[in-house]
Amino acid sequence: MNGRSAPLVARAHPFTPLVLAAAIVVLAFALPAPRGPMALYAATAALVALAGAPRALITGAIVCLPLWFFLFILHVALRGGDGLDAALAQGARLGAIATASAALLRSFRPSRFLDAMAVRGLSFHAAYLIVATLQSLPRLRARAHAIQEAQRARGLRLRGAPLGRLRALVPLTLPLMLGSLAEVDDRAMALETRGVAARRRTPLAPPSWSGWDVLACSAAAAALLLALGWRVVSP
Amino acid sequence: MSPRQLALIPSAVALNAAAGWVVKSLGLPIYLDTIGTVLAAALAGPWVGVVTGVVGQVVFALSTGDMMWLPFAVVQVIIALLAALAARRGGFRSLGVSAAWGALVGLAAGAASAVISYAVFRGVTATGVTAVTTLLSGLGLTLAQSVTLASVGTDLVDKLLVLVLVGVALRSLPRRVAARFPWAQRAVAR
Repeated sequence: MNGRSAPLVARAHPFTPLVLAAAIVVLAFALPAPRGPMALYAATAALVALAGAPRALITGAIVCLPLWFFLFILHVALRGGDGLDAALAQGARLGAIATASAALLRSFRPSRFLDAMAVRGLSFHAAYLIVATLQSLPRLRARAHAIQEAQRARGLRLRGAPLGRLRALVPLTLPLMLGSLAEVDDRAMALETRGVAARRRTPLAPPSWSGWDVLACSAAAAALLLALGWRVVSP
Repeated sequence: MSPRQLALIPSAVALNAAAGWVVKSLGLPIYLDTIGTVLAAALAGPWVGVVTGVVGQVVFALSTGDMMWLPFAVVQVIIALLAALAARRGGFRSLGVSAAWGALVGLAAGAASAVISYAVFRGVTATGVTAVTTLLSGLGLTLAQSVTLASVGTDLVDKLLVLVLVGVALRSLPRRVAARFPWAQRAVAR
């Protein structure tokens, strides 16, 4: 999937989708409402489809569905809301951000991202925090599931009245907290042994910038400058 | 940052996510997604707590592809700073003191959440809080009042439970483990 036939979103430099997504977040709030955010949502959808991540459109819409529903109820159906224009503008902002986020997720590869960070000379600490956290997430969730099963086998009730379920929090979260602290000890020892402060990584295959990456980042910067400039000069 | 502090942060962030999963599986209308942030701040001080909160929000955005909630990193920072203050003042030494600090943290976090929810999201954020906001708005309150009441109400209960649970964990720590984290000993007034 890394050859010329892979979609643009998979071939892009790890920083390009991040720059584009950040630009979309700023533009969503900088462009004049409601037409600006609506045009931005349409442009984001077109960009994501062209970059070869059309599923991000569906993911973004699924994330936004409950938010769109509540925007309609709060601002259009109920009295005291901000009206249809405000609901459309906010709905389009959230749609553009959610679609860009979903596309970013599809392109995100932790190892390539860390190689790109190492090339830029970012510290081992920052890189370690991101990688170790991404690795810890599924492990601790699996442990939480194992603790839940073990406590249920010992007779802990996880269903029924809310007060009973609330009481189950201590036997479920306490082993989770103490277990994760035990893990900290092992990891700290490993870091000390490796002399974390002295190391600087050299990536074996550093990601390169293509013409498309430069074009996309330049276009995002130009759009941001135009939008922010317009905000400053407009009455 | 020392190796121990560096090793603590990933576990604390993962703890935020895992505790969130536990309450979801229990079907409780709370989050507990700041339990790791509070634990890190109480064990290693304010800056480790702040880094835990911010890294947690960024990693959550990267791992779920949902960048919408990044502005709520500000709330994590406030919680980390207040939790560290609680630890410094022995705020985890008993159930009652933990609960009082939890109420204070909940009020501050709820107020900050309300401002972000209203100013950035026009009152529409996580489904549970937005449902309460919609209900209050339907009862005739203004949008600003509804958002504030919903945010402060949910955060008050949630953060009170978080600080009580972290207090239980800190008081259960064996002395040998607690000795490695000087802030923890002060937090439980040992």
